[in-house]
Amino acid sequence: MRQRQPRQNYLGPGGWVWGGSYKIERYLYLLHRITGLGLILFVIIHLVMTTIFRIQGQDVWEATMVFLSNPWFKFGEYLVVVAFIYHALNGLRLTLQELGFGLGRPTPPIYPFTDALRRKRPWTITMIAVIVILSLVILVEFVAGGW
Amino acid sequence: MGTAYLRLVQLVTGVLVAVLLSIHIVLTHLDAIFGFFGVDVAEPTAWASMIERASQGVFVGLYVALLACGLYHAIYGLRNIILEVTPSIKTGRIVTWALIVIGVVVFIWGTYVPVALFTS
Repeated sequence: MRQRQPRQNYLGPGGWVWGGSYKIERYLYLLHRITGLGLILFVIIHLVMTTIFRIQGQDVWEATMVFLSNPWFKFGEYLVVVAFIYHALNGLRLTLQELGFGLGRPTPPIYPFTDALRRKRPWTITMIAVIVILSLVILVEFVAGGW
Repeated sequence: MGTAYLRLVQLVTGVLVAVLLSIHIVLTHLDAIFGFFGVDVAEPTAWASMIERASQGVFVGLYVALLACGLYHAIYGLRNIILEVTPSIKTGRIVTWALIVIGVVVFIWGTYVPVALFTS
């Protein structure tokens, strides 16, 4: 009998971006990864500012702060805070669900039944709503602070 | 330590970073919102304000704890992403050790500065 070759499903880095026809949670996972990488980039810049520049004294520190008061940097800072809010809340959702909290009791899959993803969906919607609200609060902070 | 425990530490540090970083952001960056509610906070990025924080043990402890948890969480997460595309176990090991060395160096340097400012 002819042996069937397993389907080649290794997508490489392309698989990071394209989740096929998966649902919103798959793309939230992609965003989790992108925000994680963005936060790492910010932490590198932040550590350079708060260690190498700070230890050189008041003049260098103040010159750095003037340089960072540019509106583009302020906008970048806003994105960093929103990325943190998203990464934290999505991570909290993933952690709680991985540990089995908030999913209800397991039930036998007798037709018609709701699949696990749809049972978790209210948490996802709530999380997105909280992220939007917190992002708007932070936007007020940035606008009130004069960017 | 097995992978399962490394992953458990990833979850725990994730929660700790969320808590510590929230404190850090609220205390040092929400001055306009505090002002709206009548709480007057000095401009947090001013040199005097920064030096005042640097001289308080609580803040130094917060920074060091945040750095330790944040570095572990970031480096473990980055390693997960990189190891998805490394061609062999040997390359994966090189990546792991390179990340550990980077993490230790950044932690030592990142701890040295707040401690040096605290004791000066």
